[in-house]
Amino acid sequence: MFKFRFNKWYPYLLLSPALIVLFLLFLGGVILGLSQSLGYFPVLGLEEPTFKYYLEVWSSTEFLNSLVFSLFISFTSAILTTIIGVFFAYQLLKIKNKNRIINFLYKLPIIVPHIIASLMVFLILTQSGILSRFAYHLGLIEEIAEFPRLVFDKNGFGIIAAYLWKQIPFVVLMVYTVLKQINGSFEAAAKNLGASNSQVFREIYLPLTAPSIGSAFIIIFAFSLGSFEIPYLLGPTYPQTLSVLAYKKYISLDLTQRPYTMVIATSLTMITVILIMIYRKILSLISRYHL
Amino acid sequence: MFKKNIYRKIILYALIFLFAFPLLLLLVWAFSGRWPWPNLIAESFSLEGWRYFIDPANGAVESLATSVIIGVAVTFITLLISIPAGKAMGLYDFPGKGAVKILVLAPLIVPPLAVTMGIHINFMLLGLADKFIGVILVHLIPTLPYSIRIMTHTFEGLGDKFEAQARVLGAGPLQRFIHITLPLISPGLFSAGILVFIISFSQYLLTFLIGGGRIITFTMLLFPLVNSGDRMLAAVYSLVFIAAALIFTLLMERVLVNPAEKRDHFYI
Repeated sequence: MFKFRFNKWYPYLLLSPALIVLFLLFLGGVILGLSQSLGYFPVLGLEEPTFKYYLEVWSSTEFLNSLVFSLFISFTSAILTTIIGVFFAYQLLKIKNKNRIINFLYKLPIIVPHIIASLMVFLILTQSGILSRFAYHLGLIEEIAEFPRLVFDKNGFGIIAAYLWKQIPFVVLMVYTVLKQINGSFEAAAKNLGASNSQVFREIYLPLTAPSIGSAFIIIFAFSLGSFEIPYLLGPTYPQTLSVLAYKKYISLDLTQRPYTMVIATSLTMITVILIMIYRKILSLISRYHL
Repeated sequence: MFKKNIYRKIILYALIFLFAFPLLLLLVWAFSGRWPWPNLIAESFSLEGWRYFIDPANGAVESLATSVIIGVAVTFITLLISIPAGKAMGLYDFPGKGAVKILVLAPLIVPPLAVTMGIHINFMLLGLADKFIGVILVHLIPTLPYSIRIMTHTFEGLGDKFEAQARVLGAGPLQRFIHITLPLISPGLFSAGILVFIISFSQYLLTFLIGGGRIITFTMLLFPLVNSGDRMLAAVYSLVFIAAALIFTLLMERVLVNPAEKRDHFYI
């Protein structure tokens, strides 16, 4: 086969602009955040690295409550999104003339940002929202106060609803793209041998799409964990998610608080990195033992 | 079999409805006057929100322009960086490729909030904070992973045969790029461009932190409106936002992409 002969440095040369930006901005930000959280902050006159801030923050109730709240919201919304998304992707595979649906689903979540998703959840789910008005006309409630608090609530219901709205189309598309590429003759052969629809789904489509379902889950989990707008706009005053907590501490102008803020921000990074490592480990175990 | 299909369609259209209904609600709120609980339809309709939006004193149109300028600049820089990077990742094998891949995708997973807070103080020291250039630079963090990935897929699909052919026929590097590579990668380039522009256009937190309240993009005005629960005005601003993003997308699709080459680009 004819192949370009190329200098061994050529790919690195091509990559250099991207690498410079990623090193300086992204890795730089991660490393600076880490060093600030360890109390290395020359601008403030802090130059002795210490774990003091970590110990203090990690043992505070405020942080722990936020951690639990954040993990609960991200986990619940990621699980629900994945299940509903996979279900719809499979349904989408089975019907004809779906280009318009796909086009709509593809554009919608990309174009509508988190802020507007929050507004829409607000318009629908607050006590004076459209759902509560329907409930009144259906005779389910008589006063505005009888409608349950679905937004700004301690269970993060409104936050989860906004994430679902924003992320289900993402999962549908990601899984649908993989489903579409699966050879149709697998299904035909299985059906021929007497497999039911649910068997076809469980034994053929599910295993073949499992890796992409896994990555979709991880991406949306990490995304909701680090996302700020939705929990800020729809969350309760207490507990706050880690991202909101970090933001509130960050904008308070007291610079001596900065290392504490950076501990919270860096903890967010650590959680996502640990998550990815676990995920990769599971993937490699699966491929090694053919689970 | 026929019945089954109907039931599938109902489920799917229910999903579409669930996703479209909030947008309809937004539309009604944007034109509503008084709309107290428990009315299902507004008592009166008005254009008050739109008048507020157009009034130059409120700076909405100006901030929209700021958003577009920043978005276009970010798109241009990101694509400029992503074309060679995508070529390297899509066509060549080299030592350290795995590590580069992780570095490229990492910003998708690591919260941008944490990265930006870490880098903010250095932006201040370098005089980049509170300036356009600083905001543009920080927008590169969330946009680069997407566009490098799309360009990598594009080059993978393309291979290097066409360029090799041109080289055999004696075309120089610049000629090869302009006449061969650029037209061939243009569909991927436009998908990436649309995505990058919209990500930049939607940024709130990064612009707020690095722009320090001096760089007023459209989301800077939208966020407080949603936060204060001003439904009518927030709905007006949201509609303008969605319309602006849609117009940009359609312009890119209609004007720049050859319809014959238009395919689905589900690169996520």
